[in-house]
Amino acid sequence: MPATVRDDATLAVERHVDGLVVLSFRVPGHRQNVLTERVVTDLAAALDEIDGRGRGWTPRGVVIRSGRDGSFFAGADISRIDRLWDRTDAEIEALCDAGRALFGRLSARPWPSVAIIDGACLGGGLELALGCDLRVATTDARTLLGLPEVKLGLLPGWGGTVRLPRLVGPGPAIEMAVAGESITGRMAERIGLVDALVPAEHALEAARRLIDRCGSNGDVQARRRRLAEPVVIDPLERDFLESSASAVILGRTAGHYPAPPAILATMLCGCEAPAVEAGRIESSAFASLVRTPVARQLVRVFRIGERNRHDSGVGGDGAMGEAVGGAAERGSRPLPDDATGGARSPAVVGAGIMGAGIAASHLRAGCAVTLVDVDERVLGASIAGVLDEAAWDRTTKRTDADAALALAGRLRSSSRLAALAGADFVVESVVERPDVKHRVLAEIESIVGPAAVITTNTSTNPIARLADAFVDASRFCGLHFFNPVRRMTLVEVVRGPATSDATVARAVAHAKRLGKCPVVVRDSPGFLVNRVLMPYLHEAVEMVREGVDCRRIDRVARQFGMPMGPIELYDMIGLDTAFYAGLVLGAAFGDRIEPSPVIPALVKSGRLGRKSGAGFYAYASGGQRARITAPDEAAAAIVMRYRVDAPAAPPSEATIADRLLLPMLLESLRVLDEGIVRDPRDVDLAVIHALGFPAFRGGLLAWADTLGAAEVVRRLEPLAALGPRMLPTDRLLALARAGGAFTA
Amino acid sequence: MHTRTPDITPVIVACCRTAIGRAHAERGVFRHVRGDDLAVAVVRGVVERAGVDPGTVEDVVLGATQQRGELGGNVARAVAIMAGLPFTTAGTTVNRLCGSSLQALAQACHAIAARAADVQVVGGVEHMHHLPMESAIDMHPRVFARSSRGMLSMGLTAEHLAATHGISRRAQEDFALESHARAARADDAGLFEDEIVRVLGHDEAGCIVEACADQGIRRDTSGESMAALEPVFLPKVGTITAATSAPLSDGAAALLVMSEAEATRQGLEPLARVVATSVVGVPPSAMGTGPVAATRKLLADVRSLGITLADIDLVELSEAFAAQAIHCIEALGLDPARVNVRGGGLAIGHPLGASGARLTTTLVHALRDEPSARLGLATMCIGLGQGIAVLVERT
Repeated sequence: MPATVRDDATLAVERHVDGLVVLSFRVPGHRQNVLTERVVTDLAAALDEIDGRGRGWTPRGVVIRSGRDGSFFAGADISRIDRLWDRTDAEIEALCDAGRALFGRLSARPWPSVAIIDGACLGGGLELALGCDLRVATTDARTLLGLPEVKLGLLPGWGGTVRLPRLVGPGPAIEMAVAGESITGRMAERIGLVDALVPAEHALEAARRLIDRCGSNGDVQARRRRLAEPVVIDPLERDFLESSASAVILGRTAGHYPAPPAILATMLCGCEAPAVEAGRIESSAFASLVRTPVARQLVRVFRIGERNRHDSGVGGDGAMGEAVGGAAERGSRPLPDDATGGARSPAVVGAGIMGAGIAASHLRAGCAVTLVDVDERVLGASIAGVLDEAAWDRTTKRTDADAALALAGRLRSSSRLAALAGADFVVESVVERPDVKHRVLAEIESIVGPAAVITTNTSTNPIARLADAFVDASRFCGLHFFNPVRRMTLVEVVRGPATSDATVARAVAHAKRLGKCPVVVRDSPGFLVNRVLMPYLHEAVEMVREGVDCRRIDRVARQFGMPMGPIELYDMIGLDTAFYAGLVLGAAFGDRIEPSPVIPALVKSGRLGRKSGAGFYAYASGGQRARITAPDEAAAAIVMRYRVDAPAAPPSEATIADRLLLPMLLESLRVLDEGIVRDPRDVDLAVIHALGFPAFRGGLLAWADTLGAAEVVRRLEPLAALGPRMLPTDRLLALARAGGAFTA
Repeated sequence: MHTRTPDITPVIVACCRTAIGRAHAERGVFRHVRGDDLAVAVVRGVVERAGVDPGTVEDVVLGATQQRGELGGNVARAVAIMAGLPFTTAGTTVNRLCGSSLQALAQACHAIAARAADVQVVGGVEHMHHLPMESAIDMHPRVFARSSRGMLSMGLTAEHLAATHGISRRAQEDFALESHARAARADDAGLFEDEIVRVLGHDEAGCIVEACADQGIRRDTSGESMAALEPVFLPKVGTITAATSAPLSDGAAALLVMSEAEATRQGLEPLARVVATSVVGVPPSAMGTGPVAATRKLLADVRSLGITLADIDLVELSEAFAAQAIHCIEALGLDPARVNVRGGGLAIGHPLGASGARLTTTLVHALRDEPSARLGLATMCIGLGQGIAVLVERT
């Protein structure tokens, strides 16, 4: 019978009669275990006790596991990271050394140790498991192993860069830590990260058998000696690994993120040194990364994301206070969709590109969905596409036929709106014509039950006006998905004047269930994202009209960190689509964003962007993945008809960047003034998710904070001649005078 | 292996190949032809050309890198049956990736030298359109523990070779242009006519056509058009493009080998003697250097025969990438004028498992056509870091 020797706050110690000591972690106040300071002291105390138990008594083996079903350790406590920002290098290094030394105690005594990994085993959690001699992973689908530190601009600082390459080889270790993606237990077993893979119910017995096997053949001591040594790798393979990994990193990060190359260098250096020395290399690399501006921004962006996950979408400022500290608080409260019940029978009306994408995202999220389109032909053509997309396997890059078949049973389709009778959550996604939407929405309301929420997917229609279609407009809101739905995580939940809190909360919960990141915005032209985007696009065209080379503008935007330049983006969105969106914004904000005559002229000449093979650029062939062949002289000729006076000297790259980004910032400040969003953080979240604004800059407002309001005003001064669109807002001037942050 | 008694000296009595088609779903001349049918055509071809007594053929040894689907289930045995060889003729399929059919030749010769077998058909086949390289392979990730996943990309390894040895993009393009020019000249002069077995394929319009010329040879290419291409393996910063990588290809090639004594007994005229063979491993990421290591090993082996590199008159070197071929030529100190005199894989194509037999077939024909030449070397680079070389001597 296992005897409980000790039972503290985070850790239960069982001593089994066969000499096995089992340490089970259960960190209170968290839905998943995280490595808090208390965990660290408790583990140290438990190991002290095992060590001090004394004279002649040695455990047969020590097992580290979670006392929680399906959760090992989700990582370190992110809320403690801020405290490191004020410490010296030496202090930070000492903290890393202490953590690594503690985990190292798990493989430094005569007894072998085994970690049982059932559930998420990430970051510091994986480093704890790596500290053990052996690892058992379970076949549970929740079992995922990874080192996601890179996503916060950091590197694993508690031995991950030392132990992982020693176990699985430098190449696979670098792949894992540089990409930060998790792997399944099965993959972990294949690469040699874990020693056994068994169903959870056999995990303890498997650990026991591994211990016996090692205990009897002295394997553990040999392993320990090997892991203490440098890693043997052929010098040519090492050079190839370094250069190919560097090339991949440069391709992915364009040099904007310091962590991936630091991880590569740390692991390669660490491999050439004994483990003890590799640990010192790791500590020093961690200390230099943790205080970089990029790491701070990424930590902040992570927290904004966590906050969004917990935000119900209604009440207060949308925040749950500063206490929300990332992973530490993760799961500390029930998710809102638990509270609101969630939709049982969602439906999508309109099987066009957006409707199909929305239906597919339901299937991918495991929701059965009804797809309705009154046009049989459109519906028929759409179903195969929906299933293809829903059953798309990202790893094999093809549709999983078995999954498609299984999902087919969860997709109900009909050409009659009457099929919506049982629906409790409807996304209307028919053509963007107010008259059609109005008619369809009224009809939907007449069919569904009184408790159903009805939403419209629109980018240009005011919600207030569509609300006229309703008897009960409190159940209605906008739910603006972005194209392509499968990739774009942001969803704008647009609150009309009549929309009720309950409707907003249910729309938010439903979007989360689809794996999306919903931001609640007030009804206003362009909502949030398109409104902030339009000045950027508009300014780019103005510069083209002044004779600035398209490629130069795009290059500056890319150098800033945008995934593509504004002119490329125009061609991607489609100039016709951009034209209509521009009309709506122009009507509302014409004083500063006058629709450019260039766009309709290009549209009239048949240049619609990528989809038509030509826009501002010419493309090798039609389609969204076509390659730019050249800036097109025919397009240039059209643009030249609308040429505007240019300053004598072509603008510098800094000026181009300011002209693209500062009008965006000004518009986002107006958005804050008008209370379009509930919290400034929503602006940063939205531009990162929907526009690909560089996360390493923290978002639009966080980036502006790095400049400071006074500097923004100073940069706007020379641009004032361009018109009202470059004039500072009152809020900006006030901040410049009094100091203070845009993000506050 | 080199030995001079006729009963254990392997000779090549006949060799032939198909034209090499592009592995292309709309344009490939063999897009509607099964790979095993291509193999049947060349096995029949060598048996007929040699005039060998089919009853004496003991084994069919074919190389193929993708042994599944139409090339699965020991395709060599199936090919032997379809080619009309007696049931007593055995069949085995071997895989040394790109070196597969050179391996088939080498091991058949070893069997002859060991008196374990005599008359054998060897060769190889690949259909890269029907059986693409990456699909249906589940390589154990622990292979990457001592190397890295990047080494699976032959293009990346070639980029690394180019970067570490300062091989410029321009030099690679000049090399590729020369490969096309030589192949075009050889084709125009009818030098491939004797070695190509004409198989029915389909033209671009979809009508049947006799495939009598290699589809990859370009007469219209230029330095300017090559310079306009985007790097394939390292976007923007790379040096290797589609023009300086071997195209994906479909094709087959075969040779008939036996002991010199058996050739005499059957009254057959050998084309060449196989003098020596070698295989060697190199670091996986340096796979392009395989021919250097394999050739050096082979030369060490034949030193006792008084043969040095200077004695080798013609070399057929695999051209997986221009960068790799340039490096091998430089590292070995080969005279470019003697290497791939009829063009190489960049132009002709590189149907992986068939290429070794294709190279040897072309080599034997080139030796035959050049009276002053005596010794010829076929050598290839192999993915995951290997090299293979075979030295032949005109009889």
